[in-house]
This record gives sequence, structure tokens and C-alpha cells, in this order.
Amino acid sequence: MITKDKIESFIEKIPPSPKILKETISLLNVGELTKAAKVAEGDLALKAYLKNIVNKPIYGFKNEVSDISQIFGILGVSLSQQTLYNYMISLLSPNKWVLFKLNAKLFHELQANLSKKWETILKHLKIDDKNIYAAISLLPASIIVTEALFVQKIDDVNLLRTTKALDFNTILIRLCGVSLFDVCEQIAQKWEMDSKISQIVQASSGVKPSDNKEINQLGKWMHLLLFYELSKPAFIEARLNDFVDFQIEYIEDIYNEFASLMEIQ
Amino acid sequence: MKPVVKNSIAVFSPQGFLDGNSAGAFLCIEDIEATVNLKVDMILVSLKKVVFFNRNGLDTFIKLFYKIRKNNHAAVGFCDYDRKKYVAIKNFYQDEIYFSLFKTLDIAYLFSSSFKNQNKNILIYSSDRSQRTAIAIELHDNGHNTIIAQSLEEFDDKKEKTNLYDYIIDSTFLGQMGQKVATRVTGNAIIYTISMFLDVEISNKFNIEYHNNSLNVGFRLFIFDAYKVISMNIHALNFFSRLASSAAEYNATICFVGMKFDKAPETFRDTLEDSGILFYEQMDDILQNKELLKELGASSASNVKNKRVLNKENVTELPKFIDATVITIEMMTNAKAIKESASVQKLIINNKEGKIASSIGYYGDIDGMVVLIFPSGIAKKACELLIGENTDDLEMILDTLAELVNIVGGKIKTLLADEGISVNITLPRTYHDVDSLLEVVENRKGVQVDLSFNGDTFLFFLTR
Repeated sequence: MITKDKIESFIEKIPPSPKILKETISLLNVGELTKAAKVAEGDLALKAYLKNIVNKPIYGFKNEVSDISQIFGILGVSLSQQTLYNYMISLLSPNKWVLFKLNAKLFHELQANLSKKWETILKHLKIDDKNIYAAISLLPASIIVTEALFVQKIDDVNLLRTTKALDFNTILIRLCGVSLFDVCEQIAQKWEMDSKISQIVQASSGVKPSDNKEINQLGKWMHLLLFYELSKPAFIEARLNDFVDFQIEYIEDIYNEFASLMEIQ
Repeated sequence: MKPVVKNSIAVFSPQGFLDGNSAGAFLCIEDIEATVNLKVDMILVSLKKVVFFNRNGLDTFIKLFYKIRKNNHAAVGFCDYDRKKYVAIKNFYQDEIYFSLFKTLDIAYLFSSSFKNQNKNILIYSSDRSQRTAIAIELHDNGHNTIIAQSLEEFDDKKEKTNLYDYIIDSTFLGQMGQKVATRVTGNAIIYTISMFLDVEISNKFNIEYHNNSLNVGFRLFIFDAYKVISMNIHALNFFSRLASSAAEYNATICFVGMKFDKAPETFRDTLEDSGILFYEQMDDILQNKELLKELGASSASNVKNKRVLNKENVTELPKFIDATVITIEMMTNAKAIKESASVQKLIINNKEGKIASSIGYYGDIDGMVVLIFPSGIAKKACELLIGENTDDLEMILDTLAELVNIVGGKIKTLLADEGISVNITLPRTYHDVDSLLEVVENRKGVQVDLSFNGDTFLFFLTR
């Protein structure tokens, strides 16, 4: 159904990260917000994405923010970098979603919700590491990978899933020995993202805990955050609720803290 | 969201957070309609992967339960929860619980009339005495041995001796159970359990599709366990007379065991006997009498008098059947399956050793049966995706093979629907060895196709 060759061909087709984006990220890395904004102005699609994302209600700005230097200024280095990575990942998303009932708007909404809540979590955990902030950007890549790999096999997969409750990650692992999150890791490597980013996302799969205590803990928070978001009606209707398995035992020890932070009653 | 159906239980498995907003999104109108029309014994919602729920969240599913109960006689409820979740649900609904709660899905299977594993030793505890009794009665009816702990202390004490029990049941609540006619398979006989007053409702409670499927796949003896029947009216009489006529077409036998006519007209008995139904006092009168079993057709499924021949409609669609099989095997194994030869003949299996088989019937615009015969190693390989681990457990492999053949059946249905041909598929049947398969299909002509998979061959046989 899906072979290793198909996965390799998918990864091969991923373009290198755009030059402007690379330059903007390196300038942000050294704290040059104004210069970074100036470079970013050269990519109109990036500019439109940034404007669109920071003006979503979840960011809570009263007035529309349209200037890139203003956006970077408000977001700061960590969140600006996170948003740029979000943009990079969104470049991989298909023009038309078929397997999942998504569209660009809904996908950006998911990115924004995850990013904003990840920020809340990291503040709560008193973590201020821009790579850890950026890690959440890679998580939705797992959805894009699933769509890309399984789209031509929808009927077969649906038939299979009426007989046995298998998530896409398990199907891929059993067929090819590779997980969706391994593919995400390869994307991260191709785009020269910090290795910590892919380590956290791997742990967030819930089936591959990290030996590193800090990364494993962050993986738990990210896993729970993902399912918190995927339990929203729009994403359930988009058929995202069961695309990977929720590992309830994995997050058991942080659930109460998470529930209190997200004010779940 | 669509439920997964296994052993006649349909299970929804939502994940994450279940509140008033999210729960509605799990069930679109088509999902509800499809669920209401499912021919299953139970419809359950698994809470295994739900980390948070509130009453509003559960209410959405409970509304679905209401709809199901109204249209269908299946039992409904929740399963796969811990003690905390169980207490929460009981607190939410207090005395209004009409649905059931099963601590695990495996426990729910014990209450399904179609669950084939019987004679299990089961320890039961519930703080509610009437529940303890109700659980014990249901399980006893399904052929299990129950041990009831009368107090929590006794339960804690007994459950330590885990080797004495196959299952330990607590945190379980029986609401209104299904009113379908319970079905179980013993050897080559099918036993239906009927009870109380039999009236026009019997035609709703009896799964006629399952019965027809059983006839199609070769069952020839059907026993109605009627010990608990009080009486029947003319509508039920007509129903059983019709059933006997259709069984006669297949040379099948229908028996009633333990039926008393104290409160029903004795003429009903004569009418039923005239239509070919046999009456026995005790179940063991049949099941322990090998000669009688043979005479009634249960020792062999091959004594079909009116064998049907493969017709043009089926042969025309043959490529679809082969495609469905090849596509499914390829999907499950990621390896190429190659057609080697095809011919119209009686089933020929050169080497019977180490082979297992599975079959599935289809009926509707056209009807017939697809049989797949695998060397057990290839069956294992083909089932790896579904099993997820390397196993030599033959029961598990056969169970999974049934799922695989079910997928083949689903694919056949889809491919034929593309041509405007509407069929339904029956439940799959598996065979531990080739001899038991041959009892069913030995003298039938069909299309035999030898398929090769990674150099090994397996057989596809299409017959009627």
C-alpha cells in the first residue's frame, strides 16, 4: 500500500527552505529583529501569512497588526522564529486536502492554536528556549505527511479501519517500519531545524518516549496539547481526532496540571 | 466517526476530550443512520482514549443510544473505563441509567450472544445485589460458569487467585440488554435462544441475514433453545413455518428443544411438525447423540441436495472478485500477488497439510461465496498488519484471517457497486484445516485461481 520508496520520494520532493526564510531565521537567531523584518518583506507570501496568523483572535490584538517589523517586535525572537517555522511547514500543505477535511484557513488556525497554547505551557514550565518554542511548528507536519502518503489509498484505508481501529501512524510503522514522526524528523533535518525540535516531536508521538527527561516531559505536554486541540469540533469534523493514537497512560502524570492550566472543568 | 464492528459488537472510539461541543462533531447524520441500521448485538462507546468527559459530552452518545433502542434491539452502552470514570458516569445518571457499562470490551464480548468463547469461569462482584444476579444470569445464559462474590471483602479475597478465573468482572452495570435472539455455534450446529412470549416481534429480533448466511456457508442444523418460552401466537407460528420452508430448500433441519405447549395451542405443535420442525425434550438429546447429529446434518455440512451452479453473472464479475482479493492482500503485505492459473473445476488442494481457510458469502443482485486457502505461514504474513506482532496463536491468526476476508468482502461490495451491482456480504467463516472446508465445498464446481505471493501460492475459489 505504502512503501519505503514512496516515503523517500515524498521526502526528496520537499524543496529546500526558501533563501529569504533562511536569512530571516538566522537574523532572528542573533536578535536582529529589524533586519530580519526587512528581509522578510521581500517574500510577499510570508508577509501575508504572518499578517494573517497574528491577527487571529487567539493572539488577542485589538488593532490589526500589518507591519512585519511590528509583528516581530510584538512576538519577540522565540515566537517570531516559531511563526516562521509554521510558515515553512504550511508550504508543504497540499492545495486541496482530500483525506482530511481541511483547508488553508483551518490548518493555519490549528497552527495558531497550537503555537499560542504551547507558549502558555512553556511559560508555565518557565522554559525560555527558542528551539523548544519552535518545536510545536513541526507537529502539524505529521498531518501533512499523512495526507500526502495516504491520499491515494483512502478507500483501502477506510475499509481497513472499519475492521480494525488502526491509526495512520501504526499502519505506516507496520507496513514500512517508519513512523509519521520519523518522516517529520527527516523534514526537520532537511530544513536544518535544531535537533531538539525533532526530538520533542518524536517524543510527542506518545509511542517513542525520549531517554532525555526534559525532552520526554515536553513530549508529554505536546502530546496532550495535540489531543486537546484535536478534540475541537472543527478538527473532529476534519477527521483529525484519530489520525494518531492518543496514549493516555503517557500523559497521566501531567494531566491535572494541564487541566488546571487550560482551565478545563 | 464510524464504529469498528467485531464479534457482533460495534465500537466507537473517540479520543481526547469529550464535552458538549466536541461530542456532537463525532457523529454526523450519516454516521447515526448507518449505526442505527447496523445488524449487531451491541453498540458501545469506548472511553479508553478519553481523558476528560462531562455529562454533556456523554449525552450526545446517549441520544444516539435512544435512537438505536427505538429502531433496533441492540444493547447499548460505554466500555473501557477505570473506576473513576465508572463512578463519574453513575453519578451523572444516578437512577436514569438504562444503558450498560462494561469495564472492558473483553467483558462486553462475554455478554454478546454471538461471542463464540464459552464455558469461561467468571468471578463477579457488584455492590448492587440485583446487578450481581442480573450479570450472573446473563452470563449463565451465554454458557459461562459464574462465581458471585457477595461482599467486597470476599471479592478482594477471591480475585487474588487469578488462575481460577478467566475473567473478573467488577465496575460493570447491565442496563436494558439486547432483545435479539441470541445465537451461538456448537460444532456444525447453530443454537438460537428464544424466551418469553413469542409474537410478531420475533421477526425483528431474529437476525434473518445471519441465518441465511449460515445456510449459505453450509450450516445444516439449527436448534432453538426454547426452555424459557412461555407461549407463542399465530404470528410467531407463521414465522417459524416460513423459516422451516426456507431451511428445506437447503436440506437443513430446524429443531426446538424444551418447548412446552402448556399455554399455547397444541395444534401449533402439529403445524410446526408438519412444516418439518423437530421437537426434543433436552439439548443433550441432540448434542450428545452422534448418530442423531449425523442424521440431522450437523456432523457434516456437505449434504446439500440442491447444489447451485456457478452462473454467468458471477463469472462475468470474476475479475472483480480476484481484484478485490489481490488488492487486499497487496495492501496488507506491501508485496505483489500474481495470478498464476485459473480454471472452472471442483476445488483441488494438492497438499492439505498446514493450510487454513476462510470464506465469505455475498448476496443481493448476485450471490455466491469466495473461499481463500492459505498455507498458515502466508496467512500469518497477510495478517501481520492487523495483528501487529509475530504470533503462532492459531486462534488469533484465524480471527484475523476472518477480518482480512471481511475486508476482501467489503472491497468486492465496493467494486461491484461501481458497476451498479448491489450486494451485501455475510459474516466471514474460518476453517482450522482444509478438511472442514471441503465438507462445505467439496462437490461444488467453481472457479479456482492459483495466486502466488512472494513465491508461495494461495488459492482463491469462487462458488455458489
